[in-house]
Amino acid sequence: MRRPLRQMIVLLGLGCLLAAAPAAPAARAENLIAALSADRVNIESNFTGTRIVVFGEIARDALTVARPEPYDLAVVVSGPEQVVTTRRKGRFMGIWVNRDSETFERVPSFLAVHTTRAPHEMASRTVLERHRIGLRNLNLPIAIASDVPIGDRDNFREAFLRLRVQNGLYQEQTDSIEFLSDSLFRTSVSLPANVPVGEYTVSTYLLRGGALLAQAEQPLTIAKSGFEQFTYRLAYEYSALYGLLAVALAIFTGWLAGVIFRRD
Amino acid sequence: MQIYLPIAELPVNMFMLFGMGGAVGFLSGLFGIGGGFLLTPLLIFSGIPPAVSVATVTTQVVASSASGVVAYWRRKMIDFKLAGMLLVGGVIGSAIGVWLFDLLRTLGQLDLVISLSYVTFLSAIGGLMLFESLRSMARRRSGVRVAARQPGRHNWVHGLPFKMRFRQSRLYVSVIPIIFLGGVIGFLGSILGIGGGFMMVPALIYLLRVPTNIVIGTSLLQILFTMAAATFLHAMSTQSVDIVLALALMIGGVIGAQFGARMGQKLRGDQLRLLLALLVLSVGVRFAVNLVLQPDELFSVSAAIAEVRR
Repeated sequence: MRRPLRQMIVLLGLGCLLAAAPAAPAARAENLIAALSADRVNIESNFTGTRIVVFGEIARDALTVARPEPYDLAVVVSGPEQVVTTRRKGRFMGIWVNRDSETFERVPSFLAVHTTRAPHEMASRTVLERHRIGLRNLNLPIAIASDVPIGDRDNFREAFLRLRVQNGLYQEQTDSIEFLSDSLFRTSVSLPANVPVGEYTVSTYLLRGGALLAQAEQPLTIAKSGFEQFTYRLAYEYSALYGLLAVALAIFTGWLAGVIFRRD
Repeated sequence: MQIYLPIAELPVNMFMLFGMGGAVGFLSGLFGIGGGFLLTPLLIFSGIPPAVSVATVTTQVVASSASGVVAYWRRKMIDFKLAGMLLVGGVIGSAIGVWLFDLLRTLGQLDLVISLSYVTFLSAIGGLMLFESLRSMARRRSGVRVAARQPGRHNWVHGLPFKMRFRQSRLYVSVIPIIFLGGVIGFLGSILGIGGGFMMVPALIYLLRVPTNIVIGTSLLQILFTMAAATFLHAMSTQSVDIVLALALMIGGVIGAQFGARMGQKLRGDQLRLLLALLVLSVGVRFAVNLVLQPDELFSVSAAIAEVRR
């Protein structure tokens, strides 16, 4: 009930923006307007992943300079940043143990990149890296104290990206942005079941001929709600109470079973 | 039916959890063990993070031992004083265990220590039980009567100082081995998420010569308290107890245990011990194989433990 309502509000807002656009004084460059199907994703007990739709419009007016190249779009959904350690197992006295590790600082916990074509065809590496367009262009700053030799670091980088892609937290899809008309576009980003909670940013970039013409940014909140949020907060903020509750629940269940299945 | 686990932060199939809890509960009822040493690996192999598996199984063990304690209490087969002394050691052991657990997790070696300890303990205990049960089966076949408890005989344990009298168990022994035994089991319990019943029961019988009918109830009571302490400590320091996961496992477990206990009464003691030995050994071997064979994926990624998120 709430979600369609919110969508309508977003659409209405979009309409207002569109109506307001021509009134802007003599715009020469393109304007980019984008919106999300929902600005909040609630994780409840039946959560198994969901999708959000990012849609928008490339707004032009009569004064916009005509350009020969096609438009390129990139939608980048990035999750809260975290410190991540990538470890590699090695053989040690006959068994496989974690030996080398590399810690990356400030990497997004979730990253979905949707583009109209392969990122490297769209712009120079500098532009792509600045805006995290494409997994290959993701900066992975290494913690200062790293004992991995320079020549070996790429292996950790590669492994990190591969594992993140494997568990669905990093995605890259080219050709996934759909044009509904010359200027209206839409893409659907899937959020897997293991999506981390937190404040997300959805950035939309409009490029042409390697130049960034416009960008738009929307916040997206992914949060546990109801019982899930309550339990999580209890566990982290009132750990002692949570521990006691867990013990009480266990003793009660055990006692109840002992009474129900009493045989003498 | 998928259910989202709030602490493990992933959805799992609820019927799979009931099934695992039930199967392990059945075995625990059959053999009179907590079953933690089977449940923790099962959870780890099915994709639940090791830290959450271990901490949550301690909670499940509280439930399964509580239901056993109720039954033994009613029959007055618990030595409270002995359980109290074991508990003193148990709480100390658990605290050290949880501290080490946290440290190993930050060092990234927790999984290794869990695997290595499983291999060592399960192989050693499984091997001993296998040997013992085969010997007693052979004896029974050849018709030799096995002497039960020999109250007059003492071993080195009985020479230690700080002696204390345990009326219910008809014992007069030093408290040092009792506290030490409780400590070791509490330590292992919090590191491995096991109750340690399968170690406690033989130790009490063979080392301290506690009468067999008192052993199980007393050991269950001690495990109940030690694991309750471990649950609490895990909740405090690692925040990895998943109450939803624990509840699903408990429900499956307590039901399975009832069927297991009924089945157990139809089998002979040495047959039961032989089966249990094979089970314990196979879990140990499974861990050993994982350690020795080259894994398909050498790399692993772990995010720093998140701060409080709202």
